[in-house]
Amino acid sequence: MARYDVLVVDDEKDFRDIIVKKLEKRDLKCDSAPDGATALEMVKAKKYDVVLLDVKMPGMDGIEALREIKKIEPMVEVVMLTGHASVESGINGIKYGAFDYLMKPMDMDPLMEKLDAAYERKRIQQDKIEMAQIKKDMALPG
Amino acid sequence: MIQKLWSGIKEALGIYILPTLSADELQRLFTTKYRCFRELLTANNNALEAMSELETALRDGRTFSMTFIRSKSTVVTVNIFKMIQNLRKMGDGRYLNLEKSFSRIQEQIDAVIDKEIIPVEGDWFIPITRVNRSMVEQTGEKMANLGEAGSLSGINIPPGFAVTASASRLFYLENNMYPAINRIFQQTDAHDIEDMLRRSEEVQQLIINSPLPAELERQLCYQFDQLLEMTDHDVKVAARSSALGEDLGRASFAGLYHTELFVDRDHLIQAYKTVLASKYSTRAMTYRLAKGYRHEDIIMCVGCLAMIEATVSGICYSRSIGGRIGTLDVFFSAGSAKGIVDGTKKTNHYTVERMAPHRIVDKALDADDAGAPLSDQQAVELAQISMKLERHFGSPQDIEWSIDPTGTIYVLQSRPISVHLLAAGAEEGVIFEDDRLLLHGGVTGCPGAGSGPVFIVRTNEDMVQFPKKAVLVVEHPLPEWAPLLKRAAALVAETGSEAGHLATISREFGLPSLLSLDQATHKLVNGETITVDAANRAVYRGRIEELLEQQGKRPNPMDGSPVQQTLTEVLKLITPLNLTDPASPYFRAALCETMHDLTRFCHEKSVIEMFDFGKRYHFAQGAAKRLVDNMPLEWWVINLSDGFAPEFDPVNKFINVTEVVSTPMIAIWQGMHAYPWEGPPSVSMRGMGAIFLQSTMNPGLDPAVASNMNQKNYFLVSRNYCNLSVRLGYHYAMIEAFISSLRTERYVTFRFKGGAADESRRVGRIELLAEILARFDFRVELTGDALNARVEKRKQSFLFGRLKVLGYLIIHTRQIDMVMADPQQCQRYRQKFIQEIEEMLSNDK
Repeated sequence: MARYDVLVVDDEKDFRDIIVKKLEKRDLKCDSAPDGATALEMVKAKKYDVVLLDVKMPGMDGIEALREIKKIEPMVEVVMLTGHASVESGINGIKYGAFDYLMKPMDMDPLMEKLDAAYERKRIQQDKIEMAQIKKDMALPG
Repeated sequence: MIQKLWSGIKEALGIYILPTLSADELQRLFTTKYRCFRELLTANNNALEAMSELETALRDGRTFSMTFIRSKSTVVTVNIFKMIQNLRKMGDGRYLNLEKSFSRIQEQIDAVIDKEIIPVEGDWFIPITRVNRSMVEQTGEKMANLGEAGSLSGINIPPGFAVTASASRLFYLENNMYPAINRIFQQTDAHDIEDMLRRSEEVQQLIINSPLPAELERQLCYQFDQLLEMTDHDVKVAARSSALGEDLGRASFAGLYHTELFVDRDHLIQAYKTVLASKYSTRAMTYRLAKGYRHEDIIMCVGCLAMIEATVSGICYSRSIGGRIGTLDVFFSAGSAKGIVDGTKKTNHYTVERMAPHRIVDKALDADDAGAPLSDQQAVELAQISMKLERHFGSPQDIEWSIDPTGTIYVLQSRPISVHLLAAGAEEGVIFEDDRLLLHGGVTGCPGAGSGPVFIVRTNEDMVQFPKKAVLVVEHPLPEWAPLLKRAAALVAETGSEAGHLATISREFGLPSLLSLDQATHKLVNGETITVDAANRAVYRGRIEELLEQQGKRPNPMDGSPVQQTLTEVLKLITPLNLTDPASPYFRAALCETMHDLTRFCHEKSVIEMFDFGKRYHFAQGAAKRLVDNMPLEWWVINLSDGFAPEFDPVNKFINVTEVVSTPMIAIWQGMHAYPWEGPPSVSMRGMGAIFLQSTMNPGLDPAVASNMNQKNYFLVSRNYCNLSVRLGYHYAMIEAFISSLRTERYVTFRFKGGAADESRRVGRIELLAEILARFDFRVELTGDALNARVEKRKQSFLFGRLKVLGYLIIHTRQIDMVMADPQQCQRYRQKFIQEIEEMLSNDK
């Protein structure tokens, strides 16, 4: 059984395919999208736990996609992928609500660590909200 | 209205009276804060780790690239940004000044890292006869020097033209090449030669396959036609690299770029692009990396010069390398000079006096050519030319020349020889004439001795396999092997001379090299350990310590380079710690000057935010409890969530350690109490003096200021987590651990910094700590007087053991820097510590 759901967004097909395959090997359920617009549609249609998002894509760029994804689904955690290290690209993602960033190319272990941590954060947040909801429901006169 | 005003005033004064919240709301608020706090600490960890990697890189003389600086600085900044965000969340939006300070520092760092590349404007072509030194920005170093040389009377240079920096910049921009190249580079692992070879090929193909802008192509051909008209009609040109941004006095860039010979009109465009592309050859890339140059800063210009039909060619050093004082070197052989600089050809060597009438003091005829093709008269003329160039350029010159069938001498290149290389004259030493001696002979490329296993390199394949610290043995000293010089212990080649490119580079790297050593690839066996004494031109079997001992430290090839300067400047904005004392009125967000200040500030304030939680929200469960203990120190515990036993009554102001259920804290506590503390050691008067001196320099360290010294020490705990910040004596230490059922999450970290006493004592203590920690399986990083140690992802019982070690150490190393100056005392403590820790750990089993 998959541990959690991940969406991989990257315009490079080879990269996408490899990552999806590797993540599935590590018991994650994994979909992929070739661009920002497709990713938005997918986030609307299905609940993902974590999105792995390339910063540099033709069309809608990663930062824009990040902002849109966060609007649609504020609970989802996003990990940005940057090709070229620059302070600015790192910070921008965080500013707009990304969980963290990773530099390409990355090894599997750090990637898994980041994804797990992002999922952990999402899970805690969600638990909190659910607990609050349960308490609210229970407080209602029966 | 009045109420609103009143609350406004209170807010302005920093008085927070928050609405009373229900227990649930408080609990939730607390969990949120706790999460922020955890995230802040993780970010703190990551930032400090990246900082120490940057510092270490600068200190230990390793090679690092701009990519490294960029990516590590990004890690630092991004994590500090996260810390600030989390702290502001914890502080309900306060600490606005932190963001201002952060942006200010971040912009400064950006400005240092991403220096703008200034575009070059101007003509695409300049005839070589019009070129001089002032045009270096347009024509590159080599062509500027050559043009200048040609303007001197009595010096001939071949006709031709320079294709300028504006032209190559246009070519790059039109094809949008920089982003594409950076993308390929970003993913390069510089230590993986195979990877370098592949990516170098990728970039070079990219350049060669990109079209030249049409107008540039048309004009390039036109220039060639002009040259045809000036000279005879089947002239061919040599397309020579002339890079811009090289500081030739410091770094030779010898033979790293391509020269395309015998180029006709049909192949002109291709040749031009091939030379441009050679900026990204593996050897040029490795060299730039090792010497600390940024590829964006180096712009290729190309010189197209009419080919000289050479009967004899060679190299002159206007001041002899390794030879007698007052002489200059003339290396030559028949035909073109290529064989000399590539080291493939055997070379004749005349030593000539620098002073007129330039007497020839020595003739070494090694070349296989029949007779010497250079007349004495020509040797004298070459000496005159060399001295004229040295006088004109103001420093010793390395001159490449050819003589055509009419006997005219053409200067093809003149560049400075770096002076520190000249200083490295060889001193005659002893030769061990016993059975250890394997080979004797050849010429010294760079004096010195090196030892390691033999590794013979013939192909790229071999290059990839080349192990670190091996002795590089080759047939010809080709510039292609340059990427290996940084890894090798010594270089031995069968052919070549000290005038070759590889020999030049070996001198820059301080790598002992021995050239022209007959039979080297046959007599030396792969894997056999040898010692090369390059100065005395001998190769021995085995490792001969007495020869190696005489070695000075190898020069750091990155010293003074642009990349090194960039790192130094970036570090000035990152690592210095100005905010040391939280009690000081200057401990303020607006006064943070470096990234380190920001981390320190955020960390300090986050602890207070966590601690203040109870105070601000009247939330008794969050408040700190004083731990009941017999040590003369104040220990306080803050329960972050489930760190106290359920029976514990939150009304109590004190807590017994038995009421704590935080497993990491219990382990630390056990370590702290495993052995009674002896108290501070007796100190010699000198030791005490050093500490008082420091104390007066830093009032925060004054033992008389009680508030600082007897600060409360806080354990922040949950069941699986513990963070302990301690100010014991003069130093600041922090232990943090998270030990849950999930192995990948587990970690134990220890940081240690500062302390009174002078730098050498502090460093001494820290080295002692580092040694002990490493002995007990910690990964330790040392930077000056700061120490970082961690273990992670191990078995629970193992990690609890390590926490005990830390608990023991923070109590027992207290103030031992007072005795650091006394090696005997120091040794005694060291043994005592290790023995007691081992005993403590073995009791667990």
